Amino acid sequence: MPTSATSNHPSRPEDLIGRLNSAHTPYEAKLKALRDLKNQIIGNRTKKLAFLKLGAVPSVVSILSSAAAAQGGGGDNREFYESVLIQSAAVIGSFACGLDAGVKAVLDAGAFPLLLSLISHLNEKVADAGARSLKLIYQSKRAPKYEFLQEKNMEFLLSLLNSKNENVTGLGANIITHSCQTTAEQQALSEAGVIKRLVGLLGGSINQKDASLESLAAMVKENPEVSAKFMGPENGRALNVVIELMKDKHPRTRLLACMCLISIRNTSTSYLQDSGIKNSLVSVLLELLDDPGPVGDEAPFVLSSLITEKEDMQKIAFNANLIEKLCEHLNAGSYQAKRLQGIFLLLGDLCSKLECCRDRVLDLQVLNFVTEALAHDSAEVRTAACNFLKNVSRSVKNLSAGQFMNEAVAVPLVRLLCDSSSSVQIAALGAISNIVVDFMAHKSVLVQCGGVKQLVQLSKSMESAIRVNAVWALRNLTFLVSYRCKEEILLELTSATLISLINDPEPSVQGQALALVRNLVDGTLNSINYVFGEDGAVLHAIARQLRSTSKVEVQIQGMYTLSNVASGNELHKEAVMNQLLPQAGNDAEKTLVKFLQSTDSRLCTATLWALINLTFPGSPGTCRRVTELRNAGIITQLKNMINDHCLDVKLRARMALGQLMIFGDSSS
Amino acid sequence: MSLFFIVIRQLAEFQAMASSKKVITREEWEKRLSNVKVRKEDMNKLVMNFLVTEGYVEAAEKFRLESGTEPDIDLATITDRMAVKKAVQSGNVEDAIEKVNDLNPEILDTNPQLFFHLQQQRLIELIRNGKVEEALEFAQEELAPRGEENQGFLEELERTVALLAFEDVTNCPVGDLLDISQRLKTASEVNAAILTSQSHEKDPKLPSLLKMLIWAQNQLDEKATYPRINDLSTAALEDPAV
Repeated sequence: MPTSATSNHPSRPEDLIGRLNSAHTPYEAKLKALRDLKNQIIGNRTKKLAFLKLGAVPSVVSILSSAAAAQGGGGDNREFYESVLIQSAAVIGSFACGLDAGVKAVLDAGAFPLLLSLISHLNEKVADAGARSLKLIYQSKRAPKYEFLQEKNMEFLLSLLNSKNENVTGLGANIITHSCQTTAEQQALSEAGVIKRLVGLLGGSINQKDASLESLAAMVKENPEVSAKFMGPENGRALNVVIELMKDKHPRTRLLACMCLISIRNTSTSYLQDSGIKNSLVSVLLELLDDPGPVGDEAPFVLSSLITEKEDMQKIAFNANLIEKLCEHLNAGSYQAKRLQGIFLLLGDLCSKLECCRDRVLDLQVLNFVTEALAHDSAEVRTAACNFLKNVSRSVKNLSAGQFMNEAVAVPLVRLLCDSSSSVQIAALGAISNIVVDFMAHKSVLVQCGGVKQLVQLSKSMESAIRVNAVWALRNLTFLVSYRCKEEILLELTSATLISLINDPEPSVQGQALALVRNLVDGTLNSINYVFGEDGAVLHAIARQLRSTSKVEVQIQGMYTLSNVASGNELHKEAVMNQLLPQAGNDAEKTLVKFLQSTDSRLCTATLWALINLTFPGSPGTCRRVTELRNAGIITQLKNMINDHCLDVKLRARMALGQLMIFGDSSS
Repeated sequence: MSLFFIVIRQLAEFQAMASSKKVITREEWEKRLSNVKVRKEDMNKLVMNFLVTEGYVEAAEKFRLESGTEPDIDLATITDRMAVKKAVQSGNVEDAIEKVNDLNPEILDTNPQLFFHLQQQRLIELIRNGKVEEALEFAQEELAPRGEENQGFLEELERTVALLAFEDVTNCPVGDLLDISQRLKTASEVNAAILTSQSHEKDPKLPSLLKMLIWAQNQLDEKATYPRINDLSTAALEDPAV
């Protein structure tokens, strides 16, 4: 450490805090210390965190508090106290600027009401300092919720918006942007005449325009009524003003104008639907993607809100070469987390429905960047990359070509199954579920890197979203897979786990589990034998679930599973028969009959298949089964179905009826 | 006839030109130019805008008194801004930072790139004054965290720190950092940031006008041969090649 301390050498943090806290420090020195602190922390995140740890915020707030109290006395010292107010407010504002921990500390120390009291101060600089700091607090999610619905609060807000001071109007707008969340609040603000005032600000300075655009977007979001009011006659040509602002000189203003228009567009499908505005929005946002600063970081998210779930917008973006631009960015190596997340988010949106987009993306070798993204530090980037993979692998053509079942993709994905963040896990499961639907059955890569083990582990998770997706992935994995593979999977899974999944409290998990069994028993006799083992416990579990569940999706999967089992040997058929049409018990318990009477054609079809398999000619016990079925009145039931409006039901009913009739004739 | 007048009239004349390529003599051209009317008030506003944006307070004040043209922003705010700019240009960066924070504490808090450049300039000044130990400490305590907070700064950071490695700083590969031009660059950046925060346009209108002139001349070149202004500083009309 250097031995000489020059005048430029900053005070050590501990000394500084000491001086602020000490009762012995003269007030003038405290003012100097405040200013010193301010100059050390502004722009310097590292120093802010360091000073936060030393308890700087409570010290400063206490000084602010005593100065606010003292200057009520007036007199010569007024100017001095005002300086203290200004400096301490600035310090507090700086701690809150872009730092969540800072905002928390500031609010915990009780700075909020003190700052509020400064806004109405006669000295413009004091008012500015207070307004700025509050504005910075309101740019954070941690800011206190502003209760618009209380009349006094609404009045106060209006007074802020009507102020001549730019910082104060900015504060008003920021409060709206931050706290306006419910329809009732949007309505109340609209009725209080806030829209008119905000529209007025659109003609003001750069900062006022920006603040106003953000607030307007928050007010019209998902609220058709307020949206319509905004575009109504009393607000003049407000919409046109915003559309013009899309061409403003300042990138941030352009971005916010787009955001506002998109908010309106997504709320009321009758506005802003013409191709002119659609193309403008896309081209303005595309250009903003190139901005090197925060605007360029935000732009992808705004563009995403424009195109997500909207095929027509995705097509426009595709034609405007958005994919090429995103690839340029990836190639340029802009690996800052937020931007990378935005790029993959957009690629995911584009590939969600359009095959042309998926093709282009794969042609441009985007997959080369995915491996790194899957291992990125930021959980958001990892999630976005997984969702992108899930969407791009919807391309059956490329899936079959084995584009995704390789080490570069599968290995990092499997690793993400034990990610610390559950949203990453779910996203990874989504991607894996698609990727394993590999028609060429090249599933060994996944199995080799321990994928099955992970999936089974996750199927036991406490979080139902993870369980469902894990079982879904397993289900897809077992689709048309080899017997050996089924063996491996079942070995890892165990019958016990399978049964508990069939009996899972969540219907969605039950459905997936049954579909999994259905895939497992599909194929050869060995498959069926293997699943049922010695005691047929799994079969019992399936049948029990079929009897108790009311969810048709679960019933359908269960029925197909039993149908697959019934395609096996005599033992299998008998087992299924006993479950579906038990000897004891009344008609109402007879699942078979109940399902045939269902109004859901899919369920009828599945049940008919079971019936067909049970009565398939050539099996020794078929005759006996047919008799039992006839006694249960199945023939009448089937006759009601042979002219069903659903083709599947009609054809299967006829086939089943035909089989029953054959045996009927020969035995009588 | 002021140069300004000539330039403006030249610009205005292009709008009246015919479409086929023809040769226009100086006499003809000057005749057309003299028919173009330009208001003195507009010119004064342009001059005032230039003085105010660039921060020439005293000149702006004098111009106001002598021409009666009102500036579009409060001249008092210019004084503060100029103090900052001057501090940077003299190498007193710490002083400049304090002044900016007094003017508007949000500026440096919301402009990480500007803040980094100011810190960078501080380091450069320490090195220039031969205070190597202090420079090292500063680089470690103040500059390195900027690189950690934002990876985009790493490259520039490395260049700046490289200065410390050389005995003869003025002749090393990164010696350009020691130029006065580097100070001016930083000063200009601060100036722009302050103007933006005051919701004022950060660029004066005059350069745009001149750019428009050059562009318009280039466009007209395809259609006619005429006396061109090739030297903007003299606004002299140069005869067409016959």
